Amino acid sequence: MSNLGLALALIGAALSAVLAGIGSAKGVGKVGESASGLVSQDPSKFSKALILQLLPGTQGLYGLLVATLLLNRVGLMGGTAVDLSWAQGLMYLGASLPMALGGLFSGIAQGRTAAAGIGIIAKKPDESGKAIIMAAMVETYAILSLLISILIIYNI
Amino acid sequence: MAKVPMKKIEIVAMMSDRKHILERLQRRGVVEITSVEDDDLVQVNTTSSISQFERALSTAQSALAVLDEYAKEKKSLLDSLNGRTELTTAQFADKLTKNQATLSECSKILAKRKKMTESENRISRLKTQIDTLNPWKDFGLAQNFSGTKQTTAFIGTLSGMYTTSELENQILSLRPEAICSVEIISSRKEQTNLMVVCHKSLTQTVLEALAELNFSPFQSKSNLTPAEEIAQCEKEIAECEKNREVLLKELVEFATVREDICFVIDYLSIRIQKYQALGRVSLTKNTFFIHGYVPQKYVKGLVSELESKYDVAISVTEPDESEEVPVLLQNSKFSQPVESITEMYALPNKRDVDPSSVMSFFYYLFFGMMLSDAGYGLVILIGTTIVLSKFRLEKSLRKSMKMFQYCGVSTVIWGALFGSWFGDLPQVVASIFGVTIDSTALWFEPLDDPIKLLLFSFGLGICHLFLGLAVNFRILWKEGKPIDAICEVVPIYLTILGAAPLGAGILSDVPEVLTKISPYILIVGVVSIILTSSRSSKNVFMRFFGGIYGLYNVATGYLSDILSYSRLLALGLATGSIASVINLLCMMPENKVLQVIMLITLGVVGHVANIGINMLGAYVHSDRLQFVELFSKFYEGGGRAFEPLRSNTKYFKFKKENIYE
Repeated sequence: MSNLGLALALIGAALSAVLAGIGSAKGVGKVGESASGLVSQDPSKFSKALILQLLPGTQGLYGLLVATLLLNRVGLMGGTAVDLSWAQGLMYLGASLPMALGGLFSGIAQGRTAAAGIGIIAKKPDESGKAIIMAAMVETYAILSLLISILIIYNI
Repeated sequence: MAKVPMKKIEIVAMMSDRKHILERLQRRGVVEITSVEDDDLVQVNTTSSISQFERALSTAQSALAVLDEYAKEKKSLLDSLNGRTELTTAQFADKLTKNQATLSECSKILAKRKKMTESENRISRLKTQIDTLNPWKDFGLAQNFSGTKQTTAFIGTLSGMYTTSELENQILSLRPEAICSVEIISSRKEQTNLMVVCHKSLTQTVLEALAELNFSPFQSKSNLTPAEEIAQCEKEIAECEKNREVLLKELVEFATVREDICFVIDYLSIRIQKYQALGRVSLTKNTFFIHGYVPQKYVKGLVSELESKYDVAISVTEPDESEEVPVLLQNSKFSQPVESITEMYALPNKRDVDPSSVMSFFYYLFFGMMLSDAGYGLVILIGTTIVLSKFRLEKSLRKSMKMFQYCGVSTVIWGALFGSWFGDLPQVVASIFGVTIDSTALWFEPLDDPIKLLLFSFGLGICHLFLGLAVNFRILWKEGKPIDAICEVVPIYLTILGAAPLGAGILSDVPEVLTKISPYILIVGVVSIILTSSRSSKNVFMRFFGGIYGLYNVATGYLSDILSYSRLLALGLATGSIASVINLLCMMPENKVLQVIMLITLGVVGHVANIGINMLGAYVHSDRLQFVELFSKFYEGGGRAFEPLRSNTKYFKFKKENIYE
C-alpha cells in the first residue's frame, strides 16, 4: 500500500479527464445532431454550425489540462514520481473533482443550449453571434471549476 | 465620435423628376426614406413592378445556381476574401446593354437543366424496367404470347420456389382433369417465373387451379422477347446518357456568361430596392414628397446637389423627441473595429452613448490576456496584416480583420510579459541543443504565482466596471440629474474600493495602510448605499428596507461580476498550459532527431488547433465580459440601424459616378 497516495492522485487525474470528456462528448454530440439537420437543408451554414458545435468541446480540454497539470505536479510526466502520502493523494483527488463534475454537467448543459442555438442560425443567420454568447454563458461555470482545480493543485 | 447626428429631411419636388431624384438618392446612399401616413397624400403601389423584377431575379439566381453545380468557378479560399469587383461607368453601360440577352441565356440554361433532369428521370425509369425484365431474360417468346391455335399459355409469377414436376402435381391435385405443361423460366426463393401451357378446352380449369395458387399474370403488350426489350432499353439508356453528356458540355460552355448573370442579379436588386423606396414616397397630383433621415455631415452636399439640378424644396430639421431616429455609428480608427461587437449586442437607443469607444481598449486588453501567448499573437498579427494588405476586403470583413490585428498586438504583449512563446517552445528547442534557458517572462510566469495574476485580473475587472459606472454617471449628469448620478455611482465606488483590499487580504498580503483605511471606506460606502438606493420612497421604513435590499443587490451583483473576471486568468492558463503539453508530447522520444520531427509534425498541428480553439474562447469571453459585466452598468440598446436607400449589391460595386445618365 506504499503507493496509495500516488494511486489516489492518478484516479483524480483520470476522473477529471474522463468526466469532463464525457460532458463534452455529450454536449458536442447533441449539437452535432441538430447541426446535421440544419446542414442537410442548407449546407452553406456549416461553418456557423461548426463554431457552435465546438463550444461544448472546451470542457474536455479543460479536463485534460487539469489531468496533465496534476500528472506534471506529481512528477509522472517529464520527471520522476514523487512519494505521496495517502492524505496528499486524497488532496489531489479532491482538486480534480471541481473540474470533473463541473465539466461533466456544464458540458451537457452547454450542449443543450448550443443545440437550441442552431435554431437561431437556421431562422436568423445574422443573429448567430447571440447563439454563441448564450452558450458561452454556461461555459462560465466550467471556467470557474477549472480555476479552482488549478488553484488547488498548485497550492497543495 | 459615437452616434452620428441625424437630421430629418423632407423633400418636395415635381412628379416628373421623381425617378431621377430617387436614382440620385440611391447613388448617394445617404438618405433613409420612411413612409408618412397622411390622408391627403397617396402612395403608389409598386408591388406588381417589384414582383416582376423578382421573377426575373429568381430566374437569374436559379441559372447561377445551375452554373454553380455544373460549371463551378475555380476560386480559392483566399480569392473569396476579395470583395466585390468595381465597375466603371463605361463597363456599367456596356453590361447594361447585355441584360436582356443575359436573361434569355438564363432561360436557356434553365431549359437545358430541365432537359437534363428529364434524361436522368428517363434513365432511372428504364433501369427499373430492366430490373423487372431480368428474371424473364431466358424466355424466348414474345411477352404477349398467349398460346397457339390449339393451346393457351399463361405467363406469370408464383410466390415461392417451384420445380416443373412439383407444380404440375400441385395443379393436378387441385383440379385432377387439368393436364398442362409447366415451363420454369427462372426461380428464386421468393418467386418463380413460369409459363403454363394447356389445351384450349382446359383454359378455365387451369386458370382456376392457378388462381388458387395465387398466380399473378405477367402483363405486357410488347411483342418483343424480354431479351430483345432489355437490349432496347439499354440502347435507349446509352442514348439518354449521351444526350446528358452533350447537355452537360453545353452547360459548361455557359460559364462565360456567369459574370453577366451576376451583373443582372445586382442590377435587378438595385431596381427592386428603388421600387421599394418608391412605394414609400407620397404623392399629390403634380408633386411628390420624400420624408427621411440623413446624417448631418452629408446634408450640405446633398442639398446643394439636388437644388442645383432640380426644382425642389428641401427642409432639414432636428428630429422630434418622439421620433425613432435610426442609428449610424462612427468611431476613431482605434474603436471602429469593435463596432461589430456593439451591433451584435444591440444598437444604442436614443438615450445611450455608443459603447464601442468605451469598450475598445478593454476588449483588446482582455482578448490578449485570455490568449496570452506571444507566438500565437504573432501568428494572428502576421496573418491579419497579410490579408489586410493583399486583398480588397469588404468593409465589415476589414473591420473584423482590424479587430483581430489589434487583438494580436495585445496578445503578443501579454505573451511576452508572461514568457509564453508557443508555450515553452524556446526552452524546449534550447533543450534539444543541450542548452538550458530560464523563463523569458518580462513580468512573471502565471503558473509560478497564479494568485498574483488572479488578483490582477480582479483589479482589471474593477477598473472595467468602474469605467462602466463612470459612463453612467456622465449620462445621468448630462440628462440633468446630478443627484441621481452621484447616488447611483459614488456609493458603489466607495464600497468596492473599501471591500477590495479586505478581499485581497484573504488570498495574499496587502499593505497594512490599506487594510487599516479600507474598513472605514467600506462603512461609508455601505451606509450611503442603504441611505440612497431607495431615495424615491417617502416612507422611512420603506427607505430603510429598500436600502438593505439595494445593498444586497449591489453586494451579490458586483461580487459575481468581479469574480467573473477570473476567466482572464483561467483562459490564459489554459492556452499556455495546453501549448506546453503539446511541446511535452513532442519531446517524448529520447532521440533528438525524432524530437525535431515530432515538433515539425505534431507540434505544428497541435499549435494550429490550439490557436483555433483558444481564439474562439478568447473572442467569445471578451464579448461576454463586455455584454454582461460592462453593458449592464450603463447600456440599454434597442436602436434601429440606419438603412439608407442605396445600391445594395452582392457581386459588383459601382464607382460614385453618374452611372444612370
